Amino acid sequence: MKIKYTITGLDCPNCAAKLASQMSLIDGIDSAKINFLTEKLTVETSLDEQTADKLLSNAAKAFDKGIKIER
Amino acid sequence: MKRLFDFIKSEIGRIILSIVLFATAIVFERFINIYAGLGLYIAALLVSGGAVFVGAVRGILRRDLLDEKFLMSIASIGAMIVGEWSEGVAVMLFFLVGETFEHFAVRRSRSSIRALMDICPDEACLLTDNGEEIVDSEDVEVGSIIVIRPGERVPLDSIVTLGSADVDTSSMTGESIPISVSVGSEVSAGYIVKNGVLQAKTIRIAEESAAARILSLVENANENKSREESFITKFSRFYTPIVVIIAILVAILPPIFGLRTLNDSIYTALTFLVISCPCALVISVPMAFFGGIGGAASRGILFKGGNVFSKVAKVESVAFDKTGTITNGNFAISNVECFGVDKESLLSYVASTESASNHPIAECLKNASKTKITYNSATERPGEGIIADFSGTICAVGNARLMSEIGVDAIDSKNAGARVYVAINNTLSGIITISDEVKPEAGSAIQKLRALGVKRTYILSGDREENVKLVAEKVGVDKAEFALTPEQKYERLEEIIKSSRSTMYIGDGINDSPSLARADVGVAMGSLGQDSAIEAADMVVMTDNLSKLPESVLIARKTINISWQNIIFALGTKSLILILGLFGLANMWLAVFADVGVAVLAILNSMRALRAPKMK
Repeated sequence: MKIKYTITGLDCPNCAAKLASQMSLIDGIDSAKINFLTEKLTVETSLDEQTADKLLSNAAKAFDKGIKIER
Repeated sequence: MKRLFDFIKSEIGRIILSIVLFATAIVFERFINIYAGLGLYIAALLVSGGAVFVGAVRGILRRDLLDEKFLMSIASIGAMIVGEWSEGVAVMLFFLVGETFEHFAVRRSRSSIRALMDICPDEACLLTDNGEEIVDSEDVEVGSIIVIRPGERVPLDSIVTLGSADVDTSSMTGESIPISVSVGSEVSAGYIVKNGVLQAKTIRIAEESAAARILSLVENANENKSREESFITKFSRFYTPIVVIIAILVAILPPIFGLRTLNDSIYTALTFLVISCPCALVISVPMAFFGGIGGAASRGILFKGGNVFSKVAKVESVAFDKTGTITNGNFAISNVECFGVDKESLLSYVASTESASNHPIAECLKNASKTKITYNSATERPGEGIIADFSGTICAVGNARLMSEIGVDAIDSKNAGARVYVAINNTLSGIITISDEVKPEAGSAIQKLRALGVKRTYILSGDREENVKLVAEKVGVDKAEFALTPEQKYERLEEIIKSSRSTMYIGDGINDSPSLARADVGVAMGSLGQDSAIEAADMVVMTDNLSKLPESVLIARKTINISWQNIIFALGTKSLILILGLFGLANMWLAVFADVGVAVLAILNSMRALRAPKMK
């Protein structure tokens, strides 16, 4: 399943790429892509939406407090 | 009180507070008490760099030592330790100022692109049994009746059911001349009604509208990275570690050989670290492409990715489909010759046979007669025509090739235009001539392409020799290839592609998908409704105006230029300051400029890509 989020609070494209690669390491997340300029996060996942929301927003918060994701 | 606190927490607030602390610290250090000065320096450092230190610690926790925040923290703390207090604070302060500018620039370009893309209204005025009701566009079902008043944007793709008006289609097509619509016309979400009130029946839900499709194309465009973008990503992967290793060597080696003091060499190494942040590079190049994509979209040209820009910029050969691309595809019957049957029944057979076909020519033949006969079976032969069986009566409608295949002698006609032969039960029964107009701008568009450095232009057509040659002469292409089957067309295109640096193929997308996909740049024209064409093409032009092609070359060149300017400027400045730093000539201030200053300038330069150049 593909889920799309809006992701705000990222500092630079470099950080966006790093966060995306960390997110794709989460169990159940097959791939995660962040487009820094359009502020879009796209993930391929086998998880249900609520679990994915929670894991991804935790990962974002651990990366930097200011990052927020929203479906 | 809370507002004051929020202000202090904001970027601007922190900058002001730390500048005040910094200034006081300098005064205290010089004239009053050196230790009080140090205390104030540390306070200024914490105000400006607190968040950066926290970020650096987080970086360490996730074992990411080459993080920008980590490098900045090391540099400023290092400078404090070697006794360069004011510089240690200055690093953080400058970094904060630079970041603020950077965020501002990023926000501005995001919002200008968003404004460009904000073409679908969120609300629609729905006509219900109880009168008008304002609802979310997303909730409107297909087949609902909506009302659009002067000055409003059409919220959903729909067909006008009442009223007439002039509409401005520029946000969708880049065309500034308004078009008139009346009952039966299709209007797309994003059109602006200039005068008159329209009632219209919706034909698509909001998220499937043409405008929504454009948006998602633009948003996803960045996934197809250009060579320039990939270059920069790969580069930064090597660049930062190399600079860090050099910095360590610079710190250790000179003191070992007794050339410099440890303090001096550490200071040099720290400036190195600050310069080494790759963010300026990583941000500015994609930003240029993003701007280019947005700017082109405002002209009705969609680039499907950064990688398309470089191919369009160096296009050398351009091949056109003829029908519907160079000509406007409005066929009309210009002459009917009958042999042994009356005109009425000939046309009735033709119209009934063609009702099974999707070929553009079929459209006008379908309407040739109102008396339709039901066929039992029909087979379409690509590039030849169609054969239908009317309970025993076999009617073949197609070109001369189809006739020779079924053993009918296709005699020539003296009338100009495309010939459609009709054979009923294997006897030639009629010749219908059909003509199509060349688009008025075709000739000048091809001339402009040539002026932009396109070396060879072709028409690849399945049509007859004299028709293709006539059109080719009119518009001035170098080479006209005619009577090609779809397979031959593809093979010819392949040969052209092999012989040139970059080849553009322009088709209307109806049966061109393989060629669109094969060309370096496949351009689908005026076919936003055609999913297969959009899928296969690299570039989509929303109108069928050929002058968009030279315009796209200009836009692509400008965008590529800007991205290279950024690469060269950022790399040049950084390496210059790195070399100065190596000889101890660059201080922290210069180093911070090399990082954030360069990033801000590169972003501002990228914004120029948003303004698409116009062809004169």
